[in-house]
Amino acid sequence: MEAVAATHPARPVRRRLPTAESPFMRRLLITGALLFLGLFLVIPLLAVFAQAFAKGPGFYFKTLADPQTLSAIKLTLFTAGIAVPMNCVFGLAAAWAITKFDFPGKNILTTLIDLPFSVSPVIAGLVYVLVFGAQGWFGPWLSAHGIHIIYAVPGFVLATTFVTFPFVARELIPLMQAQGRTDEEAARVLGSGGWQTLWRVTMPNIKWGLLYGVILCNARAMGEFGAVSVVSNNTQGQNTITLQIEALYKNFNLTGAFALATVLTFLALVTIVLKAWIEHKEARLKL
Amino acid sequence: MSVEVRNITKQFGRFPALYGVSLKVESGELVALLGPSGSGKTTLLRIIAGLEFPDTSEGRVLFYGEDVTDKPTHKRRAGFAFQHYALFRHLDVFENIAFGLRIRSHRTRPTENEIRERVEKLLKLVQLESLAKRFPSQLSGGQRQRVALARALAIEPKVLLLDEPFGALDAKVRKELRHWLRQLHEEIHVTTLFVTHDQEEALEVADRVAILREGRIEQIGTPEEIYDYPATPFVYDFLGNVNTFAGRVHDGSVEIGASKFAAPETAGRDDTDAVAFVRPHDIRVTRRPGGPAKLAARVVLCHTAGPLAHLELERLDNGGRFTVELSKDQLRQLAPKPGERMFVELRNVKIFPEDYSI
Repeated sequence: MEAVAATHPARPVRRRLPTAESPFMRRLLITGALLFLGLFLVIPLLAVFAQAFAKGPGFYFKTLADPQTLSAIKLTLFTAGIAVPMNCVFGLAAAWAITKFDFPGKNILTTLIDLPFSVSPVIAGLVYVLVFGAQGWFGPWLSAHGIHIIYAVPGFVLATTFVTFPFVARELIPLMQAQGRTDEEAARVLGSGGWQTLWRVTMPNIKWGLLYGVILCNARAMGEFGAVSVVSNNTQGQNTITLQIEALYKNFNLTGAFALATVLTFLALVTIVLKAWIEHKEARLKL
Repeated sequence: MSVEVRNITKQFGRFPALYGVSLKVESGELVALLGPSGSGKTTLLRIIAGLEFPDTSEGRVLFYGEDVTDKPTHKRRAGFAFQHYALFRHLDVFENIAFGLRIRSHRTRPTENEIRERVEKLLKLVQLESLAKRFPSQLSGGQRQRVALARALAIEPKVLLLDEPFGALDAKVRKELRHWLRQLHEEIHVTTLFVTHDQEEALEVADRVAILREGRIEQIGTPEEIYDYPATPFVYDFLGNVNTFAGRVHDGSVEIGASKFAAPETAGRDDTDAVAFVRPHDIRVTRRPGGPAKLAARVVLCHTAGPLAHLELERLDNGGRFTVELSKDQLRQLAPKPGERMFVELRNVKIFPEDYSI
């Protein structure tokens, strides 16, 4: 047998799958995609870093250490630190309600959750100015009681929360829909109460989806510009990172603007890495 | 120690699922709820577990005589095995089985040692000792269902409810698990209600079988009772293969071709058309007419694959078709060819008082 195998070695046959393109076509498509990505993504990304370090690392770190810039970073972290947990709790509650119960108005709730995605962030900001601003519905009453929302930190938080509203819920609803209710039912029949079911069964089932939603929500919260721009008062101190970048840029401090931009870019890169890692985890879990 | 439902009525939107169903499962009994899909059997099971609620206040659920209708699911202590197992995928086999014990408040929770002891005992009972550290995704369907059963048994349930427990398994595993379930029941004797649409499974495993049709219980009895004395044509049809013979009712008997059969059920009717039911294995085929073999028929087809042969015949008088089941030996002796004329004898002819079309 071995002798036969030696004289007639089996040659692997290569045939193209019916859905595969010719090698030329394949190379053309791949090159096209890479060129496009390079032109519109990689080069601008590199430009951000090149500009930021144009005056050397010393200047770069000096810009970041500027008190105004530092306060902008702090405000962004603070805003995201409130908006993200709020949307996390809300998103979880909404997804739970929509996927595990039937109630009248369910479709309306599902549609409303998507509203912030379809409305321009500028309008989201304007809405809060109309409601809480000096000439708004509650404005006079609020200012009479010494509460400042618009042109103040609460305004940033409200606008950011509105814009990042759907991320967690949108991520969880399809996931929880696919998982159905039987795991929860099984837990209930085994004697588990409502909270126990949430912590011991639902949470472990959705933890990666939830984390994914939180990361996307956070990235958007920190990068939001339009909505916070409307509720901010550019002339007076308090700025988020995005607003500070704009302010630096308008003051012809290009290097400073780009230096601060690298902070956001870095955040975006971390988000992408985390996202890839979670997707990998989830894929392994589905096996 | 019995489980009982009384007058359960349930509707989903405008679609009725159950109409005033009452059923009592005696202590230690294994009862099968048998019916086609949409007959309401799963809904009844879910109402007993507390996963659904009856629509009207007359609908009651009783465990050991205690009314649990208003008790929430997690306080009923019902063991439930789902058709698709519903194992917790983030927990291994051991922890899945231990789940119902670990979630108890610390006053009623067994100690760590007791939990381990009980889970190990259950693992042995369901023959999965070696797989305690596996996760559900690493198990076969049959193994998963056994884990689900062990998990349900871990809380020492007052009643064990099985929703199509073998429905998602392939035919061979189904049969094995069926035997195993019967043995398990002999061992632990927990009051059990199980839902199935497979009549063979119900007849083989259950002490009693309740047949559901469109939200009502059509008949309930031991497997022998319902098979030998089906109360309605539906039950007769649902329990096995059926041939129908058009005939005429006369004087408390029915005429099919030249044959006459006693049919006391039809006493009130005279000289009307009737349909008689005969199982394929209750028909004898001969080449020559004689004695009770009077009905002439032509051979249409002959299926010989499997342990039994099936002969398809067509009546010469009215063209009605029917199937006969024969052993391979009988087939060899008869050696029928398509188109040949045969004579058949009908045995155990069943006529129902009211006409019914299958």
